[in-house]
Amino acid sequence: MIQNRKLELITVVAVLGFVIVFLAVNATGSHGFNGSDEVGSQKVAELTGHPVDSFTPLIPQWIPPSAEIESTLFAIQTAIGGVILGFVFGYWFGQKKQTSSR
Amino acid sequence: MEGFLPWQWCIVWWLVAVPFIVLGIIELRSMMRKDREYLPLLGVCGAFIFILSALKLPSVTGSSSHPTGTGLSTICFGVFITSVIGAIVLLFQALLLAHGGISTLGANMVSMAIGGPLAGYAIYRLLKNTSVNIYITVFTVTAVADLITYVITSFQLALAYPAQIGGVMTSFAAFFAIFAVTQIPLAIVEGCVLALVFKYIVQIKPEIIEKLNVFSHEQIAKARMTEGSVASSEVRS
Repeated sequence: MIQNRKLELITVVAVLGFVIVFLAVNATGSHGFNGSDEVGSQKVAELTGHPVDSFTPLIPQWIPPSAEIESTLFAIQTAIGGVILGFVFGYWFGQKKQTSSR
Repeated sequence: MEGFLPWQWCIVWWLVAVPFIVLGIIELRSMMRKDREYLPLLGVCGAFIFILSALKLPSVTGSSSHPTGTGLSTICFGVFITSVIGAIVLLFQALLLAHGGISTLGANMVSMAIGGPLAGYAIYRLLKNTSVNIYITVFTVTAVADLITYVITSFQLALAYPAQIGGVMTSFAAFFAIFAVTQIPLAIVEGCVLALVFKYIVQIKPEIIEKLNVFSHEQIAKARMTEGSVASSEVRS
């Protein structure tokens, strides 16, 4: 059974291309890699003439106490997604195996 | 960016978003009542929005941003159900991560969970009945949905903060330069990844794609043949 791996190849090339360009940009410039949200916030401050700190949440919200904790929460978010993905693809795979063996 | 949108605009975007969410919940309930078989696919689509929107990737332009992952769900389930899944993800991020907030949730829903999917869906309808390869369709839809999300975000900010000279459009260009330029490489990568995922779904579970009438039997069969997958060894009823 010959499988066509064209799409896999394209994806790998795209990801690699992304990484290479990223590394090149990273090596040449002095980029902070702030979130675009942060850069956007600065732009708002620039346009309105108010400092970034003067914008406070309209509705009080819980803020992760540190960047460490924040990254944990983001990791949990991806983990939840990953578990669901693995489960469903495994489920489908099992279903397929069963129907083809019958 | 809680607090960065004036409250008037928060209300406007909430009002725009709510009908979509309500329609989405209604659609979701009727679909679930009809057939539980869609639940796994819904899980996969939701999982991808969860994973991709949590990945804050440093982009080539020197700032970082996250993909949205809404394209897959848009193709499989349409705009309204995607809105609901997107809203859940945004709520999670607003409550636990202080990434966005309750007042700006409306605006975020309009850009990520509604506007992006709407644009993606338009592209999908345009390409659906043409001879374009279905994976290219998935790629285009995903990339467009991702990009349009940030176009809308820029527009929302521009409406709230028009520049003193040049007004809304000048502001829009400024915000667009921040968000969308960062987003273009990410959109391309995201499109490739979700097209690949779609390929695996087509390989393992083609009947569900067919049943949802996402693509026709012929299109799926053709994709399976050209991809040289197990299609040849299988007798289709």
